[in-house]
Amino acid sequence: MIDFTLSKAQQAARDYAHQVALEEMRPLSLECDRTEEIPESFFWNMQRRYWGGAAAQARAYGQDEGVKQENLLSVISQEEMAWGDAALATAIPGPGLAAPPILSQGTPEQQARFLSIYMDGQLHWGALALTEPGIGSDVAGMSTTAVLDGDEWVINGHKHYITNGARADLIVTFATIDKRLGREGIRPFVVPKGTPGLIVGRIEKKMGLRASQTAELIFENCRIPKENLLAGRGEKKEGFKAAMGTLDATRPMVGALAVGIARAAYEAACEWLREELPAGYPPHKRRAWEEELKELGQEIEMARFLVWRAAWMADRRIPNSKEASMSKAYAGALVMKATATAVRITAPGEESERKLLIQKWFRDAKVFDIFEGTAQIQRLVIARRLFPNIDIP
Amino acid sequence: MLDFAPTEEQEEIRKLAQSIALDHLRPHARKAEAEHDSPNELRLTLAQTGLTTPFPEEYGGSGPLEAVTYTLIAEELAYGDPGLALNIVGSLMGPLTVWLAGSREQQERYLPTFGDSTSGYLQRGSLAFAERTGGYTLADIHLQARRTSDGYLLNGTKRDVVHGQRADLRVVLARLSEHESESPEGKLCAFVLSGAQEGLSIQAEEEKLGLQAAPSATYLFNQAQLPAEALLGEAGSSGVVRAATLYQILRAAIACGTARAAFEYCSAYARERIAFGRPIVSYQGIAFIIAEMAMKLDAARLLTWRAACSWDRGEADETLIHEAESAQRQAVKMAQAATTDAIQVMGGAGFMQDHPAEMWMRDAAAME
Repeated sequence: MIDFTLSKAQQAARDYAHQVALEEMRPLSLECDRTEEIPESFFWNMQRRYWGGAAAQARAYGQDEGVKQENLLSVISQEEMAWGDAALATAIPGPGLAAPPILSQGTPEQQARFLSIYMDGQLHWGALALTEPGIGSDVAGMSTTAVLDGDEWVINGHKHYITNGARADLIVTFATIDKRLGREGIRPFVVPKGTPGLIVGRIEKKMGLRASQTAELIFENCRIPKENLLAGRGEKKEGFKAAMGTLDATRPMVGALAVGIARAAYEAACEWLREELPAGYPPHKRRAWEEELKELGQEIEMARFLVWRAAWMADRRIPNSKEASMSKAYAGALVMKATATAVRITAPGEESERKLLIQKWFRDAKVFDIFEGTAQIQRLVIARRLFPNIDIP
Repeated sequence: MLDFAPTEEQEEIRKLAQSIALDHLRPHARKAEAEHDSPNELRLTLAQTGLTTPFPEEYGGSGPLEAVTYTLIAEELAYGDPGLALNIVGSLMGPLTVWLAGSREQQERYLPTFGDSTSGYLQRGSLAFAERTGGYTLADIHLQARRTSDGYLLNGTKRDVVHGQRADLRVVLARLSEHESESPEGKLCAFVLSGAQEGLSIQAEEEKLGLQAAPSATYLFNQAQLPAEALLGEAGSSGVVRAATLYQILRAAIACGTARAAFEYCSAYARERIAFGRPIVSYQGIAFIIAEMAMKLDAARLLTWRAACSWDRGEADETLIHEAESAQRQAVKMAQAATTDAIQVMGGAGFMQDHPAEMWMRDAAAME
């Protein structure tokens, strides 16, 4: 039955995440952005309150309600985290982006071996290494190679733009086992931190999300055990295609983060109109802004519903590539519109912390229309699903 | 708990509405546009399915309305033809407002003729909402009602009243100020007008940009004196708000159906049409327009469903007004963009009356 109300578990996940965002993230936001550093205490607080607290609580609640809802619970809390600070949200300890390919492509033995290291209460991160200097969405041209040598895979190549790349304990790295196979030759490998031949290169300077660590990784004859290939489960070893399918789960997450930033900017602009309006500000201009913000608020609601729907489908194992791309494309465009509107509205008047935050969010926003597939790639995914029998190059 | 799937029963009703839309609405669309009305056979067919009598069985209806279900129905009808969908929904809003806002006595007086199994389909209801000074938001309702010794005095205007001229049941939304001194923004209320009302002039809106299949009229009230029993229920009651927001939600659903018609029609065209040796949809310049259309349609539909859910849950008036008006605003805007883009995808053919796209673009523009 169509229902837009949150269940007890869903509401609890949202409330908890909001509280964490308010208490642990907002106070650090501007300082972390300036220094491009995150204090160790933040990681421990998040380990305690989020990974150990909210996530575990959500899992327990979710099970209580007897339906699979980990994707929904995740997007609900991601929105709140990004409302707090999207850069800090990406740095929360845990397997992060490494988890989806391990869960979908790992054997039960591999899942236990790789994910157990995140359960000891210490600080651990995970990363996903796909992008290379020469390839983004067009993964068929991947140049990182993996060659089987006895009991080991030998990886050579160059990856960049890897979130948490320098601090990750496990890096799920995509490499080709045979360049002639194009996309079909690509496989995910789990590379542990400290493996000889895994070299951390430069940490990028970025427009926004500055506190989020974006690293370059170089693989020079990096040898990992044969068992670290995530080869898929059971009879159907689809390798690459299935691994890419994890994007269907992560795109709504990115959409949720974008909704969180858009909402933060929208709320701050509304508050500015109420609390910081300079004396002598023309009333007709204020009314015009209020109208614009009203529409923006409606668009934020629509973006959230697209995200929720895509996550809901993922929980029910309903194929959702099209809907996942819709949520990402819509939210990615909206977050830029929302933050740019907030910057324009709050241009007059005095400097304030609120304005600095708005400016930070404006810088953070742009990448949401780019990573996990640009706006154009999302439209391509949607169009290809709408017209399965037509070749849309 | 969040859920995005209609129930099995709703899905069956939706399919029924869709088959009627494709078999009976779409083929009659141009004729209805030219004749400025829906054919009686169509009204009879619809009445026999029970889709147009969603009020309690005791009045001959097919069972009380659920907003979510009717949102699905309205989208399908508009997918058949937006003008005919508004014709049907516009008529329905008359008896529905009586059911939602009226007293028991008023319900018994007005509803059974609409539920009559042999002649009910010939009845036309109407709900006057928008005015010359505004659109379809409650804040734009200014038609002024003042209490007099033996009833109410009405002054103001209404426009875009579907079936306004020929209606058997005319309901108008107004603002009631109890005393002379009170602020002009009185309580929202609804009145039933009798056949020949002194002080009321009704003018048919003959030359419309779109939605011609839904004949509409303008009302001009000049010191119109209404009897006390013309007031439906009580002024300022939730019933009136529920009726008004239901109309907004269904108008949003009609906008979604219009956009879906345009989306599917131009998609089929883009699949068949060859240019430079390939179907035009294989070019990103076309494919992206259609992808965008699909995305924004889904977004607006979800917003509409949310408002309908809240309506069914009986949420507070404030919430309903916010959600219904949001849904209507976004869905209409989306439908205007989608129908315009559909013509663009079809190129010159879209501009021609051989195809319905140009009609849908005019229809969407006329929803303001």
